[in-house]
Amino acid sequence: MQVEFIHRPGNTAATLLLAAGESCTTESGAMIAMSGQLDIETTTHKRGKGGLLKAAKRLFGGESFFLNHFTARSGPGEVLLGTALAGDMMDYTLDGDALLVQAGSFVACEQGVEIDTTWQGFKNLLSGESLFWLKLSGRGKVVLSSFGAIYPIEVDGEHIVDTGHIVAFQETLEFSLTKAGKSWLHSMLGGEGLVCKFKGRGTVWCQSHNPGSFGMSLRPTLKPRK
Amino acid sequence: MSFKVSVTGYAQADQVAARAAFATAFKITPEKAAELLTVLPRTIKVDLDQATAQRYCDALLKMGLTSAAEPMQAAAAPSPVPPAAPAPVAQASPAPVMPAAVVAPEAEQPGFKFTIEGAPDFAFLTVKLPANHTIKVEASAMATMDTHIRMKTKLGGGLGRFITGESIFINEFSAEKVPGEIGIAPGAPGDLGHVYLNGDVIYLQNGAFVACDPDVTIESKWQGFKKGFFSGESFFLIRASGTGDLWFNTYGGMIAKDVDGEYVVDTGNIVAFTEGLNYSVEKFGGYKSLFFSGEGFVCRFRGKGRVWIQTRTSGALLTWAQQFRKAKSAD
Repeated sequence: MQVEFIHRPGNTAATLLLAAGESCTTESGAMIAMSGQLDIETTTHKRGKGGLLKAAKRLFGGESFFLNHFTARSGPGEVLLGTALAGDMMDYTLDGDALLVQAGSFVACEQGVEIDTTWQGFKNLLSGESLFWLKLSGRGKVVLSSFGAIYPIEVDGEHIVDTGHIVAFQETLEFSLTKAGKSWLHSMLGGEGLVCKFKGRGTVWCQSHNPGSFGMSLRPTLKPRK
Repeated sequence: MSFKVSVTGYAQADQVAARAAFATAFKITPEKAAELLTVLPRTIKVDLDQATAQRYCDALLKMGLTSAAEPMQAAAAPSPVPPAAPAPVAQASPAPVMPAAVVAPEAEQPGFKFTIEGAPDFAFLTVKLPANHTIKVEASAMATMDTHIRMKTKLGGGLGRFITGESIFINEFSAEKVPGEIGIAPGAPGDLGHVYLNGDVIYLQNGAFVACDPDVTIESKWQGFKKGFFSGESFFLIRASGTGDLWFNTYGGMIAKDVDGEYVVDTGNIVAFTEGLNYSVEKFGGYKSLFFSGEGFVCRFRGKGRVWIQTRTSGALLTWAQQFRKAKSAD
């Protein structure tokens, strides 16, 4: 599977080029367009792996319950993918290692990639972020999206990232939630709330904008829920 | 007449950067680009219409390359042109002077002179109106204009636009006596597409229309209940026909796809398509996919033609924003 990006970084779309016989898995609702002859299947899990439980976990992770699978059975084909929010995309090739991905940033992956949802414990509850991260492991390419620009930070030692700005990080990094300021009160009043402290050696991919902050800025203009 | 586009030289000192931009734009490796551009001039595209050739030249210039668009020698050309005569423009020295001069003379270009800035995220259209010429612009899309340009509001587009909530008015801007310039900003942030219609027909998704030549007819076309209902968009499409420039906009980036055979596009991502394509609205995969895939209905195009696709939809953004609505009781 080849991945090409177009219209970076503002309104990026990914083109997945599938050779005959290849297949890929995408987040539901991400497809913009595709070749006419591709086979489509919608399941609650990665083909042949996992089941309802995994799907239910994914739902809690803020991802959709369902995944779409595209297979190029009769000759090569392409799938164009986009996201709801404006922003960039990146690809990463897993080679036995694992990535932890912020809910909502997952776009697509190759056949050989395993998708699982990891429970990060109750500490995440406080952060207002999702309780789950998607864990992508195995072998193959993955495509992730961000809100705004995407930039990697090589961590060697310790580094702090606001929870809303994380796209993904390598599993080699250990992370803990902590307060941004000296006291809890200052942290909350400062609007930073909780931040992620990474320890170890590895890469964290960050997004320039926090989707939650953007959503909250729209809040006053949105019609209240009935 | 068809045109060919050749790269003639570099418009900037940094040749490496120009080659890199070229490689990115044409999706080839930098090595391949360097190889292609070692011998200049190098023809890179053939069989283009003039407007498209011009767009290629403009794009190449942005990459830092000078280029020339020349008419191709038609095989059945009646004029006794010596065969295989090297195009004279191609011999022009690739001096890094004002490269626009290499481009075909102004008089030969059909339609208005225009520039698109800020693409692909915030495209803004500036059209140079020759004296006593008129341009049709979507209501409220005019952003700036010269003071001597006169505006007239006309009913246009037909009843369909009224039903679908578009403005039923289309404004006409005329440059009286002297040439003028008008800046047009589409409502949604995104890209702008341009086609020069030559008797052909293009269908636009409702809301995609930006501006056109007065000789282009804009009308609403009923899609039929099934296509309209399932497409999740509107029951009407805009049918643009006639001769002249047509500009349309997208929300997000724009991808032009030449279809030969079959191609599937999510209904919300269709911006425009040429008349030669047949389309049907169908469910995405099986029934399970229909309800759970998040795609719902898609549009399957068949035949030969071009589809313009947008990389984002405003509907998806709105759906995403729903989660931030206040609970009513909180008031």
